[in-house]
Amino acid sequence: MNPARFGAEAEPPWDAKAAAMTIGLLVTALIVIAGGLMVGAKLLPLRAVMAALVAPDGKIDAILVWTLRLPRSLTAYVAGAGLGVSGYLLQTLTRNPLAGPGLTGVSAGAVVPIVFCFVFLPWISPALHPLVGLVGGLAGAAMTFWIARGGRGRPLHLALGGVSVSMCLGAITTYVLLLSGPQVPSLLFWLSGGFQGRSWPHLTFLVPWVVAGIGGALLCRRAIGLLLLSEQAAAGMGLQLTYWKSLTLVLAVLPVAGVAPVAGPVAFVGLATPHIVRLLRPGGPGWAIIMTAALGGLMTTSADILARSIAVPKEIPVGMITALIGGPVFIHLVQRRGIATGNDR
Amino acid sequence: MTTERLLILHRRTPGWLVPAVVGLALFSLVLAVFLGVVDVPAADVLAALQGHGSHEARSIILDIRLPRIITGILAGVHFALAGLLLQTITRNPLADPSLMGISQGAMLAVSSFLVITVYSHDAGSHTQHALPVQWLPAIATAGGLMAGGLIYTLAFRRDLGPLRITLCGIAVGAVLHAIGIGMIAGWGSARIEVLLEWFSGSLYARSWTHAAFLLPFTVVGLACLPLIRRPLELLRFEAPVAQSFGLAYRRQFSAVLLVACALAASAVGVVGPVMFVGLIVPHLARFLAGRHSGMLLPLTLVLGAMIMTLGDLAGRLAGQAEEIPIGVVLAICGTPVLIALLRRTP
Repeated sequence: MNPARFGAEAEPPWDAKAAAMTIGLLVTALIVIAGGLMVGAKLLPLRAVMAALVAPDGKIDAILVWTLRLPRSLTAYVAGAGLGVSGYLLQTLTRNPLAGPGLTGVSAGAVVPIVFCFVFLPWISPALHPLVGLVGGLAGAAMTFWIARGGRGRPLHLALGGVSVSMCLGAITTYVLLLSGPQVPSLLFWLSGGFQGRSWPHLTFLVPWVVAGIGGALLCRRAIGLLLLSEQAAAGMGLQLTYWKSLTLVLAVLPVAGVAPVAGPVAFVGLATPHIVRLLRPGGPGWAIIMTAALGGLMTTSADILARSIAVPKEIPVGMITALIGGPVFIHLVQRRGIATGNDR
Repeated sequence: MTTERLLILHRRTPGWLVPAVVGLALFSLVLAVFLGVVDVPAADVLAALQGHGSHEARSIILDIRLPRIITGILAGVHFALAGLLLQTITRNPLADPSLMGISQGAMLAVSSFLVITVYSHDAGSHTQHALPVQWLPAIATAGGLMAGGLIYTLAFRRDLGPLRITLCGIAVGAVLHAIGIGMIAGWGSARIEVLLEWFSGSLYARSWTHAAFLLPFTVVGLACLPLIRRPLELLRFEAPVAQSFGLAYRRQFSAVLLVACALAASAVGVVGPVMFVGLIVPHLARFLAGRHSGMLLPLTLVLGAMIMTLGDLAGRLAGQAEEIPIGVVLAICGTPVLIALLRRTP
């Protein structure tokens, strides 16, 4: 069954407004990342940054730019893009505005083994933590999959199943934290997610997952557009629900599986970005996915730059900044636009 | 709505269900009174309950166990009822008191209060006793209610629909949470554990004053139930449908929301956010009630009280001297039950 033919009407061929907004978001992100190379614990003038970028000479400036600031900003961008798209897919799949990447059980699943390693097995090198987190995250996702019958059950099954898996694993984390005692503040910092010290290895770990998730979502955009209408409508248009819903759930898990072990649970981006994009009214699901990725990346990377530069030498949890910048924007949009009530979004 | 369809498809509810649940609730109450970290013989417990017995037994039973159990029961009723009301009127199975920013507002209020008082008074001490804990319930309740009020006003400026209030709730809740976390991170003291325990929900050292704090809210909330029962059945429809039945949609929506917020905020203030009861217990009640939607409300109340009692008992017994917070116990033990139910339903 080829949904492409059936969903041909679901998306206008070219949407100039959405394209302009996407380009705007990408350009802003470029400017923000470039500006982020200058600010930080040591302020670099533009000329020094350019020199270090073009001809890295192994001096302190080049190290700052090439191994600290640039990979970190890029990691934040990719992670934000992945989280946003994952949230978009899950909100579509569960038909629930409260759904977010946390619903896959991946973030909570990734946190438990990492916190466990921090507290009880401190001799395990932190370099292995992403792998440990990946295993835990995939286990959490498998659990959610099992409860939601691979996404084939009712939306309620996925929503409640994901919430209960996350809640159970989150409680285990809290218990480990209570047992750990003196390490709590530093762990709590890690638990609110962040990109401190993330560099090229993390980026290369992250990119395949996120690219697979976003690319897959873009390829399936017509099926997703049909799922957005309603399940009955999608089935009526000839969409094989069991197959496409499972596939969408897998695509939603992929980016989080990459992000959670690297950055911890970064709050708010995955939940709010799809809503903000929807309030901006993109042309179709394809544009919605692209814009969600662009906006999620922009929000996360700018939040990360602020997080590392406003309270030097301390760092502020990045999830906090995303909420502080994104929240008012979100409130403003909710206030301004007329939004559809009920299940249709 | 999916929830409703699930409810209709579910198997018939046997007639013995309600007596069984009530009996189980009473049994858990008795267990909670008789069992504890300190072994008090059953005869001494009975004597203490009648006002006799040794001084030690009396103080353990009457001053430690009973107030704690009563506080737990009241808070359980509050959370479960608030969750049910919010899930019904927002038509969202994932709604819980944090949707209205209650937990986040309470957390922000508590952390800023602690930062202010501790900074302005005795900056040197690092003991838990120095913290003005007796003020926390009132402060947290006020914070939760203010957050709920803010979200309500933001949504009220437009159409006060379920989706708008949900989106406003997400945004405001996230901002409040971020500020709260920021305060804690900036505070960076060893006393973070106090807050952590409160955030995971705990009945540790709750006394008669806490129960007395909750009781007025419980009485008023339960007294409102007969009034909002019929509107509640209509509020699960779209606004135009409900209005065509003659429902003053905005007014009734606001009334139910106010009841839910007051119940949730007072309970969060006293025991901290126990997410399991607010989110999951209404679903458990729905599974059990099956097609008898009339049983939903009483079942939710009884289950909320019972699960809170059992969870607290388990936390007390399992942890011995260092007890496990009730939120943790419930999430670890309770979710497998929900998962089993989810797997069984079609």
